[in-house]
Amino acid sequence: MNKFLRVMIRTVIVSVFFLQSVAFAAPELPKDIEWLTNDSDPVFASPEAKKGGTLHSSIMTFPMTFRVVGPDSNNSFRSAILDNQLDLIGIHPNTENIIPELATHWAFDKDKKTMYFKLNKDARWSDGKAVTADDFAYTLEFMRSKHIIAPWYNDYYTKEIEKVIVYDDHTLAVVSARAVPDLHLKLGLSPVPRHFYGKLNKNFVRKYNWKIVPNTGPYQISDFKKGKYVRFKRKKDWWATDLRYFKNRFNVDKVIFNVVRDINMMWEYFKKAKEDVFAINFPSYWHEKTKIPVVENGYVHKIWFFNNTRQSATGMWLNQDRKIFKDQNVRYAFAHAMNIQRVIEKVLRNDYFRLEHGFMGYGRYSNNAIRARRFDLDKVNDYMKASAWKRGGDGIWEKDNMRFSVEVSYSIDEHAPRLVVLKEEAKKAGVELRLQKLDSSAAYKKVIEKKHDVAWMGWSTSLRPQYWEHFHSVNAHKPQTNNITNTDDPEMDKLIDAYRNSLNEHERVRLSLKIQEKAHEIGSFVPTFMVPYVRQAYWRWWKLPNPPGTKHSSSLFDPFGSTTGGLFWYDKNVHEETKQAMKAGKTFSRVTIIDKTYKMKLPE
Amino acid sequence: MANSPVMKFNPLTLKKIRRFKSIRRGYYSFLIFIVMICVSLFAETMINKRALIVHYEGEYYFPTYGDMIPGTVFGLDYDYETNYRQLGKQFEAQGKGNWILMPVVPYDAYENDLRENEYPPFPPSLKDRHYLGTDTVGRDIVARLVYGFRIAIFFSLALLLVNYTAGVSIGSAMGFWGGRFDLFFQRIIEIWSNIPFLYVIIIISSIVVPNFFMLIVIMAFFGWIGMTWTMRTVTYKEKEREYVIAAKALGASDWRIIFKHIIPNTVAIIVTFAPFSVSGGIVALTSLDYLGFGLPPPTPSWGELLQQGWANMSAWWIVGSVVTAMVLTLLTVTFIGEAVREAFDPKLHTTYE
Repeated sequence: MNKFLRVMIRTVIVSVFFLQSVAFAAPELPKDIEWLTNDSDPVFASPEAKKGGTLHSSIMTFPMTFRVVGPDSNNSFRSAILDNQLDLIGIHPNTENIIPELATHWAFDKDKKTMYFKLNKDARWSDGKAVTADDFAYTLEFMRSKHIIAPWYNDYYTKEIEKVIVYDDHTLAVVSARAVPDLHLKLGLSPVPRHFYGKLNKNFVRKYNWKIVPNTGPYQISDFKKGKYVRFKRKKDWWATDLRYFKNRFNVDKVIFNVVRDINMMWEYFKKAKEDVFAINFPSYWHEKTKIPVVENGYVHKIWFFNNTRQSATGMWLNQDRKIFKDQNVRYAFAHAMNIQRVIEKVLRNDYFRLEHGFMGYGRYSNNAIRARRFDLDKVNDYMKASAWKRGGDGIWEKDNMRFSVEVSYSIDEHAPRLVVLKEEAKKAGVELRLQKLDSSAAYKKVIEKKHDVAWMGWSTSLRPQYWEHFHSVNAHKPQTNNITNTDDPEMDKLIDAYRNSLNEHERVRLSLKIQEKAHEIGSFVPTFMVPYVRQAYWRWWKLPNPPGTKHSSSLFDPFGSTTGGLFWYDKNVHEETKQAMKAGKTFSRVTIIDKTYKMKLPE
Repeated sequence: MANSPVMKFNPLTLKKIRRFKSIRRGYYSFLIFIVMICVSLFAETMINKRALIVHYEGEYYFPTYGDMIPGTVFGLDYDYETNYRQLGKQFEAQGKGNWILMPVVPYDAYENDLRENEYPPFPPSLKDRHYLGTDTVGRDIVARLVYGFRIAIFFSLALLLVNYTAGVSIGSAMGFWGGRFDLFFQRIIEIWSNIPFLYVIIIISSIVVPNFFMLIVIMAFFGWIGMTWTMRTVTYKEKEREYVIAAKALGASDWRIIFKHIIPNTVAIIVTFAPFSVSGGIVALTSLDYLGFGLPPPTPSWGELLQQGWANMSAWWIVGSVVTAMVLTLLTVTFIGEAVREAFDPKLHTTYE
């Protein structure tokens, strides 16, 4: 009897498992979906590119771990590892259309939450194993695991991504938890190798600190010495070498990152050709420090490449919970009292550009008709007099025991020269700025708790403009939100809600333009500068395509990035020629390239 | 002078002063130092973007002190403060008998002198009256140095006053009462002095930006310790002297004995320490400013100039002027200190008698 029961139970369990696996193993792919791909957008790599060579670069600090999730993983080196981990799909850097990466085809479901993907059958991990649909299912399992000690990822992959459905080894669907605009920006997951990690346990964080995880991109770490260097090697027979948008890219054989802890040391290494490329965005480097023999003699070239990408909202954020800034006239007057143009001309050597509003460079989402308020003493006078302010004995505006004297909190030492010029100019307009330099975390705390008068800072960018965080009244008048101007305007709220809820791109674009107009009208943000370009110095044996970069290139010598990276190549003959010329004292003509192919159209 | 009731010194003090005067190096340093302070006090009349005298259409204006005079007063087309250098040129060009007298250095410590197609720092130039050039944002270095000196020296003197008031009172109290009070404070001071004070100041000033007085309070918080040990020892010795016993016998309070009898008799020791504390205060403020944790910009400061000089070595005039100024000031103060120490040396007097 007992024995019989046991057999019975076992049978039931087995059959349940069996039935279940059948039920899960055969989900049906919807019949009416339309598979899309992209093999017609222009390529942006050069057909002249040759393979070979070694790029010597540097990092300021050695990473604390090679893990890309968990404690200490959010370091600047992480991008070098992540860039070699391809996603299902990518974005074309010039057209912004979807292009294939690990997937060859994709399709959208009518529910606006699901995308289907067909994997490239050639796709391989660096250890030779095929990339399968299951690796994407594992991404979710991995990211949701509590053993990785990454609450943000746990949360995101639970609340934002509902599930991954595996149809067969090369077909899958990714489902978002809710319908969102620009679904493809969210659902193009990156795989995690199940065969490498297996079942996670609580040793994860320690065990994988220095493990080299199989990847799908062009390079893999070949060796490293802690505290000294990390070397990457190009894969001999990378599976994606001949794909349309990867062809003629990722040309160097090796990329070496040496640890150099000081920027001046890096510059010295570069001058000795121990580093190949140096970023010279700062005016002092571009104009002064590059007046050196290796540049004058033409061994090192300089390039100034204008891109056209999303600009950080950098400027002065006025706290409208302060009594003085409750008055719109005063906010306008403040904006007109800031002589940004003089700072650009006299301090920044005309190298920076005036930021017109907080969301420039977002393509159609940017309202190019808006002009930031310019320095104008008459307008300051008009606005202040309209609000019944009078000039005091020292020339500063006064009204009922209030002086137009505000504290400007900032945290970067290098910005002091800009601020002291603004301060002196503002005096002419009867506005006193009290500069307050805080340590960056103290400044952040002060601003995020809304204890500032004026915050001098910039926000990082996202793919589409984000308004709710900065301008919705839900986030006003309370600490720990990004609405640091305490903007509280019913009309603005309506626009932002509509923008957030809309899944129609045309409508979103229209609303976006309107919101930017409204933000300008409120006048709680005084936009300052933008740097819509990249400037680099490089030894002449490095070659770049024509045009040298893409609309969204933030570096022309990024070795790995799957969107814009790996366009440059090494010319051995030129290297030999240069070495001999340097020995013989022969010089070449000086080369300074200024490329405006993608330059943002800035109305005068 | 010595007989006037206000300035009545006892003969011993007079002897010390005579002795101090006879030490040439120290005495001249002292005179130079006094002159430096006086000059810095009236810096506005020598280094200023405001004119000393403006003679405009028969009327005289003295803009140096007081409210700003808008350009409209002199027939210019703007409401903000008159640019007197420009006005001067204009007067000359017009030749209507209007004239203007500018200070020796016609710039103040805040103003950015920026030009077309040229970028600061500008090298020293007699023609532009930037005698030591400008810093990286075009501010005159002479002006920054002098105004920076004024702040540093008064900061240092104020710090000295606060430190010594606290240090001397607590030190003498410890020595005078002795016993548990002394033991307790000794332990407190031992713990206190183990706090790495520069770090604490840096932490505090990165959270709240200190102004002049707050910085003094923060620094005095740790600075009073130095004097206590010496004062404690000296008081222990003094309180056994007959005059203290006599005062006690007359029924004087502890307070009176400490402040009226003991401290005046230990003043020699306090005075010998003072100059070195002054130079210590200047160095402390300068190093804090150098690190970016001192007084907030754009306050003129030597530390900030030093920082700029370090970052722009090719602009030798920045680092050159501030280092020279520091060396001279600290040397002067140190010479004074040495001379005071020598003049107040009790051994000397005993061998005299």
